[in-house]
Amino acid sequence: MKNRLKVLRAGRDWTQADLADQLQVTRQTINAIEKGKYDPSLPLAFKLAALFGMPIEAIFSPDRE
Amino acid sequence: MTDERAQTSLQAGLKKSTFTLFLATGAWVGSTAIMSFGPSTLWSYDASTTYLAIAANLIIGLVMLYSFFKHLSAMDEMQRQTHLEAIALTLGITMVLTVIYGALPQARVLENVQPTNVLFVIGVSYILSVITLWLRRTRA
Repeated sequence: MKNRLKVLRAGRDWTQADLADQLQVTRQTINAIEKGKYDPSLPLAFKLAALFGMPIEAIFSPDRE
Repeated sequence: MTDERAQTSLQAGLKKSTFTLFLATGAWVGSTAIMSFGPSTLWSYDASTTYLAIAANLIIGLVMLYSFFKHLSAMDEMQRQTHLEAIALTLGITMVLTVIYGALPQARVLENVQPTNVLFVIGVSYILSVITLWLRRTRA
């Protein structure tokens, strides 16, 4: 799954640690999601969408698209 | 914001559950040693004391199991998934190697097999699986 997390995070001038803190996950998890090495659970994806104020599909997209 | 400040509550929960698991595992190892060596060295094979030691070992084992579940719950989702995948890998590796190991006496490659050696395989497989899976996800 691809995502725009790094771009969105940078747009708000947040570090990976800042984002991890708001989502109650480790910084390594944010890093792995950004690099496409880990797909977040649906609850975490919803938390991310709520945090950035946009729908999930605006952040994540399938690899084939 | 630094990593230290950012991860305070998550890491505090994990630290607490790790310590509890450490204590429970230590107690289980201790009670296993008492159950194994106590009859011959401490209470001269008194049956009721042996049953008591077995019951204590079972109860402490269940407490350790509960502590492990609590430890898994305290992890963040990627850590938890890594450990669950490592458990699945460990199960598969242990099953395959145990079947081979169990067949060795019949094939006259080994005279005796020790069931406790399976515990060693489980421990090593689990540790190596966690490290490998974690590095795959976190390495740059």
